[in-house]
Amino acid sequence: MHPRSYRLKFPDLPGSSATPSVLRVRPASPPPKGPDSQAALKLEPRELWIAAHVPQLALLAVRSTDAVLALRRPDDSRPLVVVDQDQTQRVLDADEQARAGGVRAGMTLGAALAAVPDIEPRPRDMAREHELMQRLAALGAAFTPQVSIEAPDGLLLEIKPSLNLFGGLRELCRRLRDACRADPLLTQVGAEPRFTLAPTALAALAAARAGARCFITDPAVLPARLKPLPLAVLRWPEEHNARLLAMGVRTLGELMRLPRAGFARRFGPQMLADLDRLLGRRADPRARLKRRERYRGVRDLDHEIEDHERILQALAPLLDELESFLRARQRGITALQCRFHHYRAAPTRCTLRLAAPEAGAERLTRLLRERLASLELPEPVRRCELRGGALSARPLANEPLWSPGEHGHAAAGEMPALVEHLRARLGNEAVYGITPVSEHRPEHAWRVAEPALSANVGSAASLAAAPTMSSCDAATQRPLWLLHAPQELAAQRGRPQHHGRLELLAGPERIESGWWDGGDIQRDYYVAKDSAGSRLWIYRECDGDRRWFLHGIFA
Amino acid sequence: MSANDQQLRELLAHPSVWRGRSRATVETFSTGFAALDAGLPGGGWPRHGLVEILTPQPGVGELYLLLPVLAALSQATPARWCTWVCPPHEPYAPALRSQGVALDRMLVVRTHLPLWAHEQALRSGACGMALAWLPRVSPRAIRRLQLAAEQGRSFGVLFRSQQFAHLASPAMLRVSFEPVKEAGRQGARVTLIKSRGGSRAPIDLTWTAAAA
Repeated sequence: MHPRSYRLKFPDLPGSSATPSVLRVRPASPPPKGPDSQAALKLEPRELWIAAHVPQLALLAVRSTDAVLALRRPDDSRPLVVVDQDQTQRVLDADEQARAGGVRAGMTLGAALAAVPDIEPRPRDMAREHELMQRLAALGAAFTPQVSIEAPDGLLLEIKPSLNLFGGLRELCRRLRDACRADPLLTQVGAEPRFTLAPTALAALAAARAGARCFITDPAVLPARLKPLPLAVLRWPEEHNARLLAMGVRTLGELMRLPRAGFARRFGPQMLADLDRLLGRRADPRARLKRRERYRGVRDLDHEIEDHERILQALAPLLDELESFLRARQRGITALQCRFHHYRAAPTRCTLRLAAPEAGAERLTRLLRERLASLELPEPVRRCELRGGALSARPLANEPLWSPGEHGHAAAGEMPALVEHLRARLGNEAVYGITPVSEHRPEHAWRVAEPALSANVGSAASLAAAPTMSSCDAATQRPLWLLHAPQELAAQRGRPQHHGRLELLAGPERIESGWWDGGDIQRDYYVAKDSAGSRLWIYRECDGDRRWFLHGIFA
Repeated sequence: MSANDQQLRELLAHPSVWRGRSRATVETFSTGFAALDAGLPGGGWPRHGLVEILTPQPGVGELYLLLPVLAALSQATPARWCTWVCPPHEPYAPALRSQGVALDRMLVVRTHLPLWAHEQALRSGACGMALAWLPRVSPRAIRRLQLAAEQGRSFGVLFRSQQFAHLASPAMLRVSFEPVKEAGRQGARVTLIKSRGGSRAPIDLTWTAAAA
């Protein structure tokens, strides 16, 4: 570390006022004239971070799992201690009774047992802790996209860009707090996150962990406010903390007073960089939390049910949850899977596919009702599970002013709705569109296609854009019906028969193609008329037995 | 007296009132065949209602009767959908397209519940036209379909065999279809078995060169 850079970059240490200070010089350079100019001169923070810290998360997680699984009897009054699962078996957290007995976080289990012999040690429940933090992050995500979880029990939100939208800092903080209090999961567990606000992420987090009141928007006052906080809030490695303690450094203020070069030599440049991030001297970009982009909800039923309508009722809370999940993201789903778990039989799965992205619970319920009507359950249902497919953008449409059929308004039924309705009852493959394929072989000249349900597909455009290669110019005749498979015709003296003798009207038209993909055909096609007046499209093989086949009908 | 006449005339002009030999006032669209338009009440296919087309056997050319309407509806702005419920064979895409039918507005439904599917298509009002091939269908079911078509304000077509021609049917319009058997002419002879004031005489139609 160069001494000059030390002077420039570490300007506001107490007791180092002789060195030029960037933070102090800048407000002083233009002379303040009035209250307005002073306000303008006030340093705007580049970022504003809200940190949320959930105190005693490990204990809360273990307790809530106990409550769900009824692991602990209600009359069990032994002190509870959460122990890390690694080799050291250190105490992570302890309840009030254990604390009163002298158990502290960081003790070994043996020491804790020595202090309070009747404690109940419990392994940590990482999954539950993660779930709680995810829930908290989901609440925070309503306010800003920049959300990150600081494992295990911290959450960071960068809210500077969202201030205008939510009507200022106070309003945003109030809403965030209300959202946490209103959340059923967090209140049930008893999690009461502590919120702090600071211009840097680490400072906000440190204050939140310390339980200090911290509502700072001005970077200039940050070092002074951080000074009294204990060293442990930084959560540095234990050996660093021990060495610092041995040097007589107990608070952040004392830490900031250390010379930079010496600090970097003793503890490494990483620690110095950490300190710089804490004080806002160094950028601290954080990875945004990737939010779970699929919905999954599970509901255990009090008793087994078999009736479809009751199952639908049981699914209703999950569907409501799904709707709010989707609305928060302004997205819709095109696939929804229900899984019904039984006592013995394998889970019954039922998948609902939607023609257009959908988010409304009401509509999904209606479609599920159709789908369930055709579902056979091997056994009564004990547990329902709902899984949403990938999220897709939902085009926002205007609702018509008139209801269908009113004021001469056409019965404005929506085609996507009809397709979904039919598919929910009849299955996905039962409903399809058709499209031509540029191919000479008649059976390959069309294929099944997904119905073009998006409204912006102009039919005229598709007519023009469709392949114009062959088989359908006006000169060659093609039947309106094509048989699923060619039907062999009887022949008499080389003339084809179908309900009597066939009269050939046109032909032959030779189609010889497909040798490259194994579907080789060599056929002479004719238009024929039978005794009933139907016009048929028949062909004769050019090789082999030269048999006659019926392939289409000019219906 | 004249005031009463006026009231009476207004009453009789109501679309749901139809008097014996007169022609019902119904909303229609052109069939694409001048002779058929002239014979049908209102000058075309009814916009809202169920039409039965009775053929001696499936595939005698009955689809040509509807091709002009299919092409017109699917290419109109906004384009209307057409559902095909249980067609006897696959509708052949290249042929339909060469007749000017926009294929991205066609929807094929294959099901063991054709009645239900056809009723849903008619009732939803989402499609301009719904075709169905139902081998066996009771008069009650036809009545349901007719009501669904009126409610959904859509044009429904039911293809049936001619052996049911003598049975009563609640459909709005019943058309008997006979292919022309003579050589050199592609067409059909169409008779209106039941119509609200349509022509009684058989109507001879010839498919245009492009259609044939």
